[in-house]
Amino acid sequence: MWDNLSIKQVVKHANDPYPYIRKWKKGTGKKVVGHTIPDVPEELIYAFGFLPVSLIGTDKPLKKAPSRLPDNACSLARSNLELVLSYEGDLFDGFVLPQVCDTTQHLSDIWRISFPDKYVESFLAPRQADRPSARYWVKEEIERLVSSLTGWSGKSLKDEDLRESIRIHNENKALLKEIYEIKRKNPGTLGNKELFALIKLSMQVDKTEFNKSLKKIKEGLKIKKVDGYTDVILVGITCDPPEVYELFDEIKLNIVGDTLVTGTRYLQGIVPDNENLIDALTERHFKRGFFSPIHDNVYKNFEEVKALYKQTNAKAIIYVHIEFCESQEYDLPDLKRMIKKEGMPIHELDTEYQTISLSHVRTRLQAFFESLRGGAL
Amino acid sequence: MSEKLTSKELSKKITNEYIDEAFRAHELGKLVGYTTAISPVELFVAHDVIPIYPENHSVANLTAKKGAELCTVTESLGYTSHLCAYARSDLGYRETGMTVTRGIPAPDILMACNAQCFTLTKWFQVLARRGNLPVFVFDTPEYVMNKKAREEIVKYCVIQLKEMIAWLENITKKKFDYDRLKEVMKYSAQASALYKKFLDMAQHKPSPISIFDCLIGMAITVYRRGTPECVEYYQTLCDEIMENKVSKGIGVLQNEKYRLYWENLPVWFKFSDHAKLLGSYGGVILTSLYVHAWSFEFNLDKDPLVTLAENYVSRFSNSTIEDRATMALDLFKRYDMNGMIMFMNRSCKAVSFAVPTLKDIITKRTGIPALVFESDMGDQRFYSETQIRTRIEAYFETLDRLQLAKSA
Repeated sequence: MWDNLSIKQVVKHANDPYPYIRKWKKGTGKKVVGHTIPDVPEELIYAFGFLPVSLIGTDKPLKKAPSRLPDNACSLARSNLELVLSYEGDLFDGFVLPQVCDTTQHLSDIWRISFPDKYVESFLAPRQADRPSARYWVKEEIERLVSSLTGWSGKSLKDEDLRESIRIHNENKALLKEIYEIKRKNPGTLGNKELFALIKLSMQVDKTEFNKSLKKIKEGLKIKKVDGYTDVILVGITCDPPEVYELFDEIKLNIVGDTLVTGTRYLQGIVPDNENLIDALTERHFKRGFFSPIHDNVYKNFEEVKALYKQTNAKAIIYVHIEFCESQEYDLPDLKRMIKKEGMPIHELDTEYQTISLSHVRTRLQAFFESLRGGAL
Repeated sequence: MSEKLTSKELSKKITNEYIDEAFRAHELGKLVGYTTAISPVELFVAHDVIPIYPENHSVANLTAKKGAELCTVTESLGYTSHLCAYARSDLGYRETGMTVTRGIPAPDILMACNAQCFTLTKWFQVLARRGNLPVFVFDTPEYVMNKKAREEIVKYCVIQLKEMIAWLENITKKKFDYDRLKEVMKYSAQASALYKKFLDMAQHKPSPISIFDCLIGMAITVYRRGTPECVEYYQTLCDEIMENKVSKGIGVLQNEKYRLYWENLPVWFKFSDHAKLLGSYGGVILTSLYVHAWSFEFNLDKDPLVTLAENYVSRFSNSTIEDRATMALDLFKRYDMNGMIMFMNRSCKAVSFAVPTLKDIITKRTGIPALVFESDMGDQRFYSETQIRTRIEAYFETLDRLQLAKSA
């Protein structure tokens, strides 16, 4: 079902993958496990024979979530809660929910209470990353998740199944990286919207099948050399709604690098070679880039952004702020100050799930890039 | 022989001496360590690091209605108005020096514990960046309802406490004294037991104390636990209440009609107004999970690091909503409460995001209706006087009606 998709179909499915996941579920008889972002070891879920699906909000109206989470809660958290409470809850047999901040901690509780008959497990990610105990804890949590999935599924995890799952997931990320590289160098070949739809859908469907589509899409790309694009990097956690990428395409911005959980930070999750697979998954946890809600050094974030900006020869940085993400809101003033001091142009883009009108985003973005192009470019 | 000090006099004396010492820390060869109100401060005390709680300083300014002014300064630096008013008013203080107290000394080191909330960690990161200072995050995963997971969480926390000790030793170049820690733990355990006894005075009818007394009375255990003076203070406080109020049957309200539960931190700048308004309806707020956050139960027979980990990781703010409901229901039963005010505090996401679900569970289990209102604990710009007053009036009308129906 996912093995022969055109890029057009990928974009369509990425906007609303759930009707097709339902069909897939019906056809295969397999269980579907939803998980929020970030850092859930999806390879484990897949190795048990379940389909891990990253939940990345919905564009449908909020109906039930506001009565659980107030309007100053992270808009992605509210959107995800709405997705399962009002629209797609019945699709999922279970959920694995990572806790990385105050909001995600409560979200896990609300979710569990809302679905008393489903499997709901928390993944308690460490909120510090630079001490040996963090590594110890990630391994403990991965082992706990294995034991929890074993208890729920009634079957134990086979080493060869996990190895195969890791291989498939690594292959998926490698393919996406290759496509990203083609787009980076040839922006007319593939739009921003298309690239990020490929990554998003990869996070939501069966990768054994979808990797076949990715290979075909990659091989079928017709390289186009089109001038007039401005290379930019995207910094943040997620970037939604997808129409934002359309806007980037419209004003000819070429995303040449990013730090998004639904972008490069996901692709950084290739599991390294290691005889002990749990050790390998643990090691991978620390290979990803900066993530604002985890206690990490904002200087490190700045250095990462600076290195990416230089390495990609970008002309500007777009910082994507999810409305009411407290972690980002604490980091941003210092990060912006450091970026500006370095002479790197930065544009802050405030996004909110369930956004209907992007006219204000368009106006600000156009103004920023017109002034940039009229100046240094 | 000098006369025994009253609890009020003792509180003032302890606070003054503590702040004096903090301002003279470097002169005394000590470091100032910023920490969060719910954090294993016993390690700081045992290692002669003077703990300073920026939250407490913020409370003083917010209670004095300086919140909006200080927060506005911080917002002009690029921070949003959605962030915690403690953090925003603190950053505003650092920018302007404006405070209603003597202020607080600058930190040498910082230690944040996310059992209370994660916002503190982010706030402390901002402070650490400003001074290029070391910051230690004591990470406490949610105390999930799984025995095996809890054992692992405690183990992880003990490992981190050992890391914290190594961190302190490295900074101070001084060996950590475990015997001293045991002594500090003894004082913490005694003070916590007495503090709980103080809070539980609200079980009497009429209650001799209200939550407003608790909010004032909790200050010493927040910033002086682990010291003998903290034990002395709570012993004095308990003795006074027993002697002057309980034994004479004196309550906050003699015509006590409604014994209320409060969820969340208080609206600091409306503190006394709320007490008066509720009192006029015969309502007295007795307690909250918030004030009970410092009712630790340290087990001195255990390894000090284990009992520290067990206590800090299991605070209400780090517990599941189901466990929080169980804790609150225990208070409802023990204090015989018949009303509840659930405050959705824009500043405190860690506590507030649980409130709607918590309210549903408690109402379902007790049949008691709840008053829910949204505002901010420290930023007056988010407080609507008329709206909240109207809701309180309407709530008491409901309670009256229910009581009438019950008696009929």
